[in-house]
Amino acid sequence: MSNARMRSPLGRALGLGSAKDGVEAWWRERVWAVALAPLTVWLTVSILMRADKGYAAVVAWLKMPVTTTLMTLLLVALFHHIAFGLQVVIEDYVHSRIKIPVLVGMRLGCLALGVAGLVAILKIALGA
Amino acid sequence: MTRAPSDRQRPLSPNIQIYRPQLTSVLSIGNRITGIALSAYAVALVIWLVAAAAGPDAYAAVDAFIGSWVGRIVLFGGTFCLFFHFCGGIRHLVWDAGYGFSLRAIYASGWAVVAASIALTALTYVVGAILAGYGP
Amino acid sequence: MIIRSSDEVPRTTVLKRFPVPRNFGVDAASRINRGRTWPAPRGATRIKRFDVYRYDPESGQNPRIDTYQVDLDDCGPMVLDVLIWIKNTVDPSLTFRRSCREGVCGSCAMNIDGTNWLACTKFNADLATPATIYPLANMRIIKDLVPDLTHLFAQHRLVEPWLRSKSPEPERERLQSPQERAQLDGLYECILCFCCTSGCPSHWWNGDRFLGPAVLLQATRWLVDSRDEATGERLDDLEDPFRLYRCHTILNCTRTCPKGLNRGKAIADVKKMPIERRS
Ligand code: SF4
Ligand code: SF4
Ligand code: FES
Repeated sequence: MSNARMRSPLGRALGLGSAKDGVEAWWRERVWAVALAPLTVWLTVSILMRADKGYAAVVAWLKMPVTTTLMTLLLVALFHHIAFGLQVVIEDYVHSRIKIPVLVGMRLGCLALGVAGLVAILKIALGA
Repeated sequence: MTRAPSDRQRPLSPNIQIYRPQLTSVLSIGNRITGIALSAYAVALVIWLVAAAAGPDAYAAVDAFIGSWVGRIVLFGGTFCLFFHFCGGIRHLVWDAGYGFSLRAIYASGWAVVAASIALTALTYVVGAILAGYGP
Repeated sequence: MIIRSSDEVPRTTVLKRFPVPRNFGVDAASRINRGRTWPAPRGATRIKRFDVYRYDPESGQNPRIDTYQVDLDDCGPMVLDVLIWIKNTVDPSLTFRRSCREGVCGSCAMNIDGTNWLACTKFNADLATPATIYPLANMRIIKDLVPDLTHLFAQHRLVEPWLRSKSPEPERERLQSPQERAQLDGLYECILCFCCTSGCPSHWWNGDRFLGPAVLLQATRWLVDSRDEATGERLDDLEDPFRLYRCHTILNCTRTCPKGLNRGKAIADVKKMPIERRS
């Protein structure tokens, strides 16, 4: 990195310049967080209230249209929130070349898990 | 031109090794750690849903784990993480809206988050126990 | 928002430092060794132990912690008085920056008992025993308690901390209403001591790209100045996932500002400015 060493302090501070962007990601983080909050309360309370956690009772509950709808919303909001959160964490602590692959892998993982959850819900809702 | 001949050898003064843990930074790290932990619980949620979709046998296996000794501890940890992250998250949203930045407010809300997450966890388990029929 | 009285700064401490090894994750050149102990002068009456970070670039050796037994009855009440006492009576090689000795120049910022503060406005009576004195956290060290602030001043330069105006130069002063002037309160008082930036964990991990609280406070100071006409360009330069949005509202900065300035609120407002101009 001998080139970087000869660069002026201002040049180093300027780096690649401003991305002129970032508010979008910041704003979406908040929006998904706000969306997730009431859904989390709903999920916690409903799991708590359901004393019978046997298979039949749980499936009957998941089959209710309200549950299907809210659970779908919850999964979408949850995995958006996770993707945004982990992105910040990774960007904070990973500074090597693996940063971009890790970010891509994390996002794809969130996508895969979210879709798996949605398919499961739909299968229960539509299944016999 | 400014030269910094000894720049290469200059030691870096310690940061996290000596910086005092303050409610500000501790809660921030706590929010992060619980957030990462909750990501794992989200995976568990998906597994639970997939198991329910797969049928009674798969569901029974997952349910057995949740009911087990280990499962209960994991669930308890998750409950606390959830409330901690939830309360901390609301505190952050209030800040983002532009309120609560005086030092007094920062410390008051910080301790409130700690107290509320403990209280809500306890409340959840008390209500759960009563609903499950252990209560008075 | 300014801290009205010092009782807003909490005194209670559970842990003085995080339970990590002292040289945890530290590169070979920055590892800290144990240094020597300087006994109290004969006849000392009220002795307090100070552990002080030392680094001599000419010795070719690593930084070390020297222990000084200080006679509090023989020196003034502030940490800076202790340092001056050590330099005058015990060890003339101890190096530190200071100028005004009354909290207005920002030279004597250092890490005292784990928190960044000005040595000249910190009472010895408030310190633990032994008291620990390090340079500002996470800085390249020139010598002893003197950090290299080049990068921080370059970041300060980056936000162009001066009036940028496009209207023709007026014949007289540029006027502000009292209300417009009041917008600068809580921003203009910054003495650029960098206690806050050096105490910001986000700046520790990403200081090459994140501007840090002190510089963001300065950026705000020019964004809200009614006479400035480069608000748009300033926002363009700031709006960046790292430069601005790497602030995670940890608020160590508010906790540690010896002038009681509140960057938290200032930065939160700036974060929302780009939204305002979009929607
Ligand atoms: S904001 Fe406060 S701590 Fe930061 S540089 Fe200015 S005076 Fe120092
Ligand atoms: S609030 Fe922002 S600038 Fe202040 S210490 Fe935290 S991350 Fe750093
Ligand atoms: S000597 Fe000027 S601020 Fe301490």
